[in-house]
Amino acid sequence: MNRALTRWGLGGLAILSSIVVFLVPFAFIVTTAVMDSRQAGEFTLAWPRQFQFVENLTTVLQTRDYLLVIAFINSTVLTVVSVTALVILGAMVAFVLQRRKSRLTGLANFLVLTGLIMPPAVVPTIWVMQKLGLFGGMPGLILIEITYGLSFTVLLFRAFLATVPRELDEAAIIDGAGPLRLFFRVVLPLLRPVTVTIIVVQSVNIFNDFTNPLYFAPGDQNATVQLTLFNFQSQNLTSYNLLFMDILLITIPPLIMYLLFNRQIVAGMTSGAVKG
Amino acid sequence: MRGRRTVVSALTILAITSVTACSAGSLGSSEDTDGATKITMLTDADEGSQSDAKAMVAAFQKANPGVVVDVQAKPSGTDGDNLIKTRLQTGTMTDVFTYGSGSLFQQIAPANNLAALTGDAAVAKVDEAYLPQVSVGSDVYGVPWGNAFAGGVMYNKKVFEQLNLQVPKSWSEFLATADKIKAAKIAPVIQTYGETWTSQLFVLGDFHNVAAAAPQWAADYTANKAKYATTPAALAGFEHLQEVHDKGLMNSDFASAKVPDGLRLLASGKGAMYPILSGVLPQLEQVAPDNVDDIGFFALPGPDAATNGLTAWFPNGVYIPKSTSGPKLEAAKKFLGFVASPAGCEVMAASNKPTGPFMVQGCSLPADVPQVTKDIQTYFDEKKQSPALEFLSPVKGPNLEQLCVEVGSGISKADKAAALYDQDVKKQAQQLGLEGW
Repeated sequence: MNRALTRWGLGGLAILSSIVVFLVPFAFIVTTAVMDSRQAGEFTLAWPRQFQFVENLTTVLQTRDYLLVIAFINSTVLTVVSVTALVILGAMVAFVLQRRKSRLTGLANFLVLTGLIMPPAVVPTIWVMQKLGLFGGMPGLILIEITYGLSFTVLLFRAFLATVPRELDEAAIIDGAGPLRLFFRVVLPLLRPVTVTIIVVQSVNIFNDFTNPLYFAPGDQNATVQLTLFNFQSQNLTSYNLLFMDILLITIPPLIMYLLFNRQIVAGMTSGAVKG
Repeated sequence: MRGRRTVVSALTILAITSVTACSAGSLGSSEDTDGATKITMLTDADEGSQSDAKAMVAAFQKANPGVVVDVQAKPSGTDGDNLIKTRLQTGTMTDVFTYGSGSLFQQIAPANNLAALTGDAAVAKVDEAYLPQVSVGSDVYGVPWGNAFAGGVMYNKKVFEQLNLQVPKSWSEFLATADKIKAAKIAPVIQTYGETWTSQLFVLGDFHNVAAAAPQWAADYTANKAKYATTPAALAGFEHLQEVHDKGLMNSDFASAKVPDGLRLLASGKGAMYPILSGVLPQLEQVAPDNVDDIGFFALPGPDAATNGLTAWFPNGVYIPKSTSGPKLEAAKKFLGFVASPAGCEVMAASNKPTGPFMVQGCSLPADVPQVTKDIQTYFDEKKQSPALEFLSPVKGPNLEQLCVEVGSGISKADKAAALYDQDVKKQAQQLGLEGW
């Protein structure tokens, strides 16, 4: 009796605390997003006195000539292209580093690690991009995101590759597979769990990135969704209802990704982490 | 075979998406300029700033058919400051941009980064009081964007009427007034430390009184000859804040309240006096549209009723970076000339309700401005105003708001906070390379 009480009590407590930590903030976003501007200014968790879902939605979408729509297109392109390239490049680098040990491996590993350690400096990076003619456009920004994400991706892939038996590669080579075929047909499919992890983690990272788009791709034509948040706030006047509607719209894509890939993320995380 | 197909399809996906990446951005910008000079303008992203800029651009393009101005946006606050500095440094600034005047303006190294407008027709109509805020030495670099505003006390006139109170003109009168309000179970002084910048008003908004007591103080302060902690007139701001806390004159939720909460308290008559910048007027209109005209404005009182006057903040400036040249530079100068003209003021006044006077010759306020603006205009008309310290001295430490929150919350004492602020300022002055630090 007593033990059952403890068990149920603890379980209930855990559920309750997760509700408080995860659902209450979300409820706050949703309710504020449908309020009128006056009630939203009170900044409290309350039932909306007046539902303005459609009005707020259309206002947010129409702000500054449908900037949010352009921003969503830009963010989608940025995320999809960067993550695709990250996965392919990261897996290739990790495959070579893991399988073909040579004198340069140590140096290459060190360089990958430096990518994680060294903070990127904005102004020199912009100079380099200007020299290369890449500044202020989507291709340049995509390259930036790939560069900043590559180290982490390589590390994850490399750790996971250690768990893939070498015999599989050898069998494929004996069967006559060339290097590309070996990589794309044998190795890449085996990396599925960690690939899902990387896709989710990096997508959320890149989708939510604020500073890189701000500095490396100025101008409205390059705006990403995070930059649209500033349309609704300033020192003297903040429209919380519109701001939260924007946040709600922006939160949806990463949320859907998490819901769809939840199980694979956890599987990929643990399988990459235990063995090294 | 299938292996190659995967490679090929992966590459095609990459290729297709990178092609769309180039075209996706051009969805919003209009390309039909027909040989007109096209210049770009950068201003804050929020709705108010954007609609101001759009209205100004529309009026300007009507008057100058040969020029097209494309308005772009930047975040406000620290991110925006960093962005401006980065873009100036890398030569990628838009042709025209708005930014703070006074010490903020000094921080972007105007002589290196901005195009000088000295003697240009664009700056001919700018008010003389404003010129020092956008000048280095004898060179002028900008024109005012919008109107001036003031730091002082917003008060509820209805509460004052009911309790039969007068606007206090000296600090002792202020305390007496506050006591009477407190006796009527109304919060006398509203403080909102949920937004820390609001805590500085007692110190920054008191500068008129400092200048009245010691006219040379700002120059001495810049030269490291005068300190907050050792000048009684300057220390008074910190002391007033401590006094307000020690006497229990604040609203009960001062520690977490935000500006809208403070304005709501004020408009509803549950609070009587709110030391704040008049720039929050648009927010007052959003929070309490029916009570805007119940709210008036007076300057933070000093020791002497005879020298009572207002501490004024000057509007942001519009500048042209050095990277702009040729016909674009001409067009940008034309735009600045339009901004600093009575026609430009009219556009501004129509776009949002002015929170203070314009700094352009020949401009006047429309008749239907809120009571707060009228009260501020009175101080300007009577010439009982002086600029805030940040317009006279580039020295401003980053931690003043935290120190003021400590004093206002009773965590720290006035003299200690003033001494700490003097230290805080030292680092910044050394960074600016000022003499005597």
